Amino acid sequence: MKYEVFARLNAGDQTTYIGNVTAQSDKLAQMYAHNTFDEEDWDYLAVVRENDVHEVNPDAQPTPEVAPNE
Amino acid sequence: MSDWPDQAVDYVQAIHDTKLVLGFRYGQWSLAGPTLEDDIGGSSAAQEEIGHVRQLANELEAQGRDDDWLKGQRDPDEFANAASIDQIDGEWTSYIASIAPADRAAWYLLDAIDQDDLDGLITKMGEDEYFHLEYHDARLETLADEDPETIQQTLEKTLPQALAFIGPAAYDDAEDPLLEAGFTDRSIADIRESFIEHYQNLFADTAVSLDAVDWDAPASEEWDETRRRVDSGSISETELKQIRGEENELFALN
Repeated sequence: MKYEVFARLNAGDQTTYIGNVTAQSDKLAQMYAHNTFDEEDWDYLAVVRENDVHEVNPDAQPTPEVAPNE
Repeated sequence: MSDWPDQAVDYVQAIHDTKLVLGFRYGQWSLAGPTLEDDIGGSSAAQEEIGHVRQLANELEAQGRDDDWLKGQRDPDEFANAASIDQIDGEWTSYIASIAPADRAAWYLLDAIDQDDLDGLITKMGEDEYFHLEYHDARLETLADEDPETIQQTLEKTLPQALAFIGPAAYDDAEDPLLEAGFTDRSIADIRESFIEHYQNLFADTAVSLDAVDWDAPASEEWDETRRRVDSGSISETELKQIRGEENELFALN
């Protein structure tokens, strides 16, 4: 399972995407992220399953079926 | 710096030696993992263990231990490392099931030390150890699904060895000499209970059965309190030469 990895350097900073790891469990993904992305002393480090990441499509347009008052 | 009881010096020596050999094992296997992330984790752990070794060596020197002796100028049977890491037989799965109990046992012993001047050092080591132990557990869980037979067979040997490293069940709140001396704040019996409970819980819902593990090990009458084991094994002379770094001297710049 692929996990996307997000982190921030300091409290209050924006959380940024820094890479991904592949692991068989959530716990293993956390450990992999800790060891693999150890170049900084992160304030916050998180992994999210790829399937749980939902991209916002910036090119999306309303369809004719979407009425203004809906 | 206070003088420790002789038994306390031996206790810390055993933790030091286990970390020294663990660092060597982590390094030895750090290019043999099934994934790149596993190799990175092994390399990281190797560095951390050797860093811990240096810190503990400083403390042991202050208690009168010789620096060269600490660094490996001694016979293999003078090492007091956990027996489960004397030798790693088999593939990577066996390696994980051999080092994990030793690393956890060493941490439990270290964490039990109740000396004000060591609190900061132990806390820092604990920050590193948290990730070692969580990684081991995460890996053991996945390997319990992939290869339960190898995990089970290896743990049937290495868990009793780790329990021997911790110490005998007879060292309870009333009988533990280091607890009585005030050097530690948890009895060996209490540490054993936590260690056993941890592994029983970890594998409770997996295909790995721990029913054949000798949870009562070691027998008190057979236990070597200095080397913290019941067998006469040790790391090999060949590997000890590598740990000493003797071959590196050939390349030293003058």
